[in-house]
Amino acid sequence: MNIHEYQAKQILAQYGIIVPNGGIAYTAAEAKRVAQHISPRGPWMLKAQIQAGARHSGHFVGNSTAPKGGIRLVTQIRNLSYEAAQMLNNTLITEQTGPKGKLVSKVYVEAYKQVKHLFYAGMIIDSSLPAITLLISDVIDQDILKIADIRRERILRLPLAYDKPIADEQIKQILDFLLLDKNYDEGFRDFLNKLRITFINLDAQMIEINPVGIMRNKKLIALDAKINFDDNAMFRHPDILRMQDDYEEDPRCLQAQRHGFHYSEFDGNIGCIVNGDGLALEAMDVIKSKGMRAACALNVKGGVDKDRIASGIKLIMTNPRVEGVLINILGGFLRCNLVADGILAATQEVGLNVPIVVRLEGTNKEEARIILQEAKLPIIFADNTNDAIDKLIAEMEVND
Amino acid sequence: MSVLADKHTRVLVQGITGVQASFHVKRSIDNGTNVVAGTSLQRTPNEYLGVPVFGNVAEAVKNMPIDASVMFVPAKAVKYAVREAVESEIKLIVSITQGVPVHDMLEIKAMLKGSKTMMIGPNTPGLITPGEARLGIFPENIHRKGCIGIISRASTLTYEGVLEINEAGLGQSTVVGLGDDMIVGTDYRELMTLFMADDETKAVVMIGKADNVYEQMAAEHYAMMENKKPVVAFVAGESLPFGATMGYAEDIITHGLSTIQDKKKVMAQSGMIVVDRMSQIHEALADLQLK
Repeated sequence: MNIHEYQAKQILAQYGIIVPNGGIAYTAAEAKRVAQHISPRGPWMLKAQIQAGARHSGHFVGNSTAPKGGIRLVTQIRNLSYEAAQMLNNTLITEQTGPKGKLVSKVYVEAYKQVKHLFYAGMIIDSSLPAITLLISDVIDQDILKIADIRRERILRLPLAYDKPIADEQIKQILDFLLLDKNYDEGFRDFLNKLRITFINLDAQMIEINPVGIMRNKKLIALDAKINFDDNAMFRHPDILRMQDDYEEDPRCLQAQRHGFHYSEFDGNIGCIVNGDGLALEAMDVIKSKGMRAACALNVKGGVDKDRIASGIKLIMTNPRVEGVLINILGGFLRCNLVADGILAATQEVGLNVPIVVRLEGTNKEEARIILQEAKLPIIFADNTNDAIDKLIAEMEVND
Repeated sequence: MSVLADKHTRVLVQGITGVQASFHVKRSIDNGTNVVAGTSLQRTPNEYLGVPVFGNVAEAVKNMPIDASVMFVPAKAVKYAVREAVESEIKLIVSITQGVPVHDMLEIKAMLKGSKTMMIGPNTPGLITPGEARLGIFPENIHRKGCIGIISRASTLTYEGVLEINEAGLGQSTVVGLGDDMIVGTDYRELMTLFMADDETKAVVMIGKADNVYEQMAAEHYAMMENKKPVVAFVAGESLPFGATMGYAEDIITHGLSTIQDKKKVMAQSGMIVVDRMSQIHEALADLQLK
């Protein structure tokens, strides 16, 4: 789960990390009021609040003649409303938003902070160790994935001890890497340990501060902030769950999430309902090998009642790309008869307007087959993944 | 022989009275599994599915010898269930639960380190030695006894692997699901060592996924092994747009950009027989002429 920059900064501030003074605004007039309140003379930073990176180098739809991004420095208060108005209710396209872009509904107004140095700090979990791993880079304002790809030597990676503060020698390594002397030791230690506590206490999967500023007094300040949380741990953090911005999420993904399922969309036209990530991947691989592409994949693993399975099937049916549905279930925990009941419930409610091929294997598969056969629905049965996809493609061609 | 569990393995079920546990434990017992006891927080009834029920693992261990535990507990309780089992020095634990927070797994991995306990899972169908021991939720009706081991990181795709082995006219020695999650209790390497030492196992089928670097780690391990048995390996996810799944960002940052083709290449170089489709596994096994 992601949150906005201003929310991430509120959280960091609660953990004692220094962030610039700022306030959120939904209208241009409000932006001006916030600006005057936080810093009477300025300058100010205006930052579009969308959950995607590369905002600075992005541009707004319909404003390609004077391309200006989603992060702007404003020096005169008289320009502030104008600049905010250019962002609000307009669509920002960045390298990470995709071609559709994202609608900006709020801007964050911050007091501009002058700093001596800038660097990148991130925290992730390296699953191969496994350990919380601190990332430090002297390349700022760029996508860390790009740096990792082409300039790997510019990222310092330090696995952290599970139950101890960051070690002295690691702080030294960081200072050496950034070519800073030991006078900066205290500021780094304080900042990075607070970041580590935030990461652990809030079940974060990734925190990125891009960039961190080093102030004249050698204290560190988070000039940007991005936090991604572990969905599975949100039961421990109802306050963070409330920060989720529904407008940022795809409505079908959100709906699937509410049923406890994982759902992803692609650019083809076959809807896949499977139980298990691996099974989804394999189905998509086979579909591709036959010259087609998946429209979406819904993983109903762990779904144990027919109503939830039915909601899953209805969800797939609401995707306009879907012209055929593959239901490939290998039941262990999930019993096939529940899937059959779910298919019946869903088709009775929304009807059957595209071909469905069903392959059920494993726990209670015979019961399931009887349920579906007795319902006399135009469902096609298959024996394995290959067979199922062949039959579905053939049926979709007939429907054309 | 088999690995990890056979008909002599004395199995405890943590959370035995739950709805899902009841369904699957009964099937396991019917399938020959030596289930000897259960635990339940409510502690009632005293007996369930024909075995005694205790309030906690320590109490169960005090009353009878236990070799392994299967956990049917909610995601938020997994770390406490593991701690109980580790403190009672149970050698093998299997966690079925999906949705365990990743930070809990970091805590669990720290608990397991230096302990006497090996953990399979979480988010796994468990492990099965056909006809002898079913520690988990595998659909037992598809399994056949035989000489092929399976190690899989893709829960339900494991069942496809089983069907492929059957199609080759062979059966399974032991099938182990490592778990689908980003961090799992045990990775391929330990299992590979066990299978290579098992008399009954003549070859291993490995089923991997595009994310994380577990397969690369396995390949490195396999390349270094003496006494190798053939490994037929499959990795799901080649059609996935790069970076489309979770976990990728972490992988790229920590280990550099690698595509599924790179992953398969490393595996092939280690001596594994890498197939492109699940449905090619039975042919690859037939080519080994194990019968």
